[in-house]
Amino acid sequence: MTDTASISLPKIVRVIPRNRNIEFLLLLFAVGLYAFELAQIQLSVLEILTPELLMYWVPPTLFAFAIHFILRRRASEADPMILPIAVVLNTLGLSMIYRLDLGTIANAGTELFGVKQIVWTMIAMAVAAIVIIYVPSHLFLRRYVYVSMVIGIALLLAPSLPFIGRSINGARLWIGIGPFTFQPGELAKIALTVFFAGYLVTRRESLALTGRKILGMRIPRARELGPILVIWAASLLVLILQRDLGTSLLYFGLFIVLVYVATGRAIYVVVGLTMFLTGALVASRLMGYVSGRIDSWLNPFDSKNYDAVGGSYQLAQGIFGMAHGNLLGTGLGGGIPHLVPLAESDFIIASLGEELGLVGMFAILIMYLLFVSRGMRIGFNHPDDFSKLLATGLSFVIALQCFIVIGGVTRVVPLTGLTTPLLAAGGSSLLANWIIVGVLLRISDSIGSGDKYVAEVK
Amino acid sequence: MSELALFLVRTGFVVVLWIFIFNIISVIRADLFGQKVVSRVASANAPQVVSAPIAPNAPGSLVMEPNGSNATKLVIVEGDRTGHNIALDRRELTIGRAEDSDLIVDDEFASTHHAKLVLINNDWLIQDLNSTNGTFLDGSRVGTPAVVKLNTPVRVGKTVFELRA
Repeated sequence: MTDTASISLPKIVRVIPRNRNIEFLLLLFAVGLYAFELAQIQLSVLEILTPELLMYWVPPTLFAFAIHFILRRRASEADPMILPIAVVLNTLGLSMIYRLDLGTIANAGTELFGVKQIVWTMIAMAVAAIVIIYVPSHLFLRRYVYVSMVIGIALLLAPSLPFIGRSINGARLWIGIGPFTFQPGELAKIALTVFFAGYLVTRRESLALTGRKILGMRIPRARELGPILVIWAASLLVLILQRDLGTSLLYFGLFIVLVYVATGRAIYVVVGLTMFLTGALVASRLMGYVSGRIDSWLNPFDSKNYDAVGGSYQLAQGIFGMAHGNLLGTGLGGGIPHLVPLAESDFIIASLGEELGLVGMFAILIMYLLFVSRGMRIGFNHPDDFSKLLATGLSFVIALQCFIVIGGVTRVVPLTGLTTPLLAAGGSSLLANWIIVGVLLRISDSIGSGDKYVAEVK
Repeated sequence: MSELALFLVRTGFVVVLWIFIFNIISVIRADLFGQKVVSRVASANAPQVVSAPIAPNAPGSLVMEPNGSNATKLVIVEGDRTGHNIALDRRELTIGRAEDSDLIVDDEFASTHHAKLVLINNDWLIQDLNSTNGTFLDGSRVGTPAVVKLNTPVRVGKTVFELRA
């Protein structure tokens, strides 16, 4: 010990998790941004600040900080970026819905969404908090793998039932009881991710290691393709029964990606995509609805499509709106996004593109990218296989949904009726996505880095 | 509002939105690549204004740990953080570039999860976690887990440490 006694050494201290402090600062930024949006909207549309601003600002702010303090107590190691990004996206959506409501009022319209959206935001954030508090570990979900399969399929097929199923704008995706409507497919995506993750954890070896090698690629045995065929058939059934290409692509894509993550074999992606494209091609030949969508996608400015009922009018209006926005946008409250049908839900990204411009649109896309990359990183870092697949699946489902919706609005893929996660008006979508936020936070807390010993840096 | 004010508010909002994104990216960067490696190195080389070492260093005060091992700390004898030490008050200690390692080595010759020290039957064993450049115990590469005796140099990348009583 004599050698070290002569040199004085820095003290070694335990590092206190900085995560929650980072989250606190980012949340302050997020709610500040929200106040900026609301003030800008009121000043440009009403030219005066009204107390309504507080009605919009206070509830999401309170609930966001409530979740933050719950995390401090219950999940102090959770990822610090997921909550602030979710809050920014959700409040940006709220601002835009409020702005569209003001536009509707100015045009003497009566269908408003703002208050409903605030109430749903509070409910959804409260449910996320409940997930964080009462779900001690997401691993308990593993006990309910087959239960969640049944729940997922039931939710998915519920809109096709008589009496409670509702058809809105041609797609049969809703259930309604009295004046309340709900889109159960949004919750089905969580139940099915749990099922896929639990199922693949038990089957990954046989999926990954069997099969004969042909031309350098290992071709899976026919029995390993069985489950993929079942899911493929189910997603085509959804396409036929509910007339919605987006939903069926979402679930099938989720399954294929989880098979790929579980096995590391690209052949499943190739086989899956080929199967889906074949199915969709056949469907487009047989079903007028699908071929109409594809024609509207390819020729939205054709007067035949533009004037048709359920044609490309909405898509073209959205594109005109985004063109009006140009690079920097018209500024919140400065455009006329309420001219687009469904500007508050399916086309909210076009409304934001008009008022925030290309620069703002990219900001939104990058926030989704960051959100998804955090989710993927949680999956990548987690030592447990089920958690890996669950986190990857939940974040991928958000990524794929963004691609399908935003790609549809910007004419990258045919337009389908899905909601933009966290931004769009709609209670079921908010609820499902906030549950995903809660589960991801829960999983990220359980990665468990242990105590860190780092030399104290003054 | 005037045209100019409107323009400023409009671009201002987009700018603030991007500042938020860059804040998040900088946090992610710290998360991926570790924080300010430079400052850690600098502080190791800087004149040390520090408190006394943790371990008791009077020969008489050498207390046996409850588990019987008489190594009480790990001292870095070579590398960026020469002179630093870590108390061996647990049964396992991970070494690597990963930010969640117990001993973080900022070194391109070390792997993310490079090696770990495990206390088994009162002996500290060094186990190489399939690292790219290997772990060296007293000059020879560690294959199967090997017992680390007191005052024997263990090399991970450019860092060398010893276990001391």
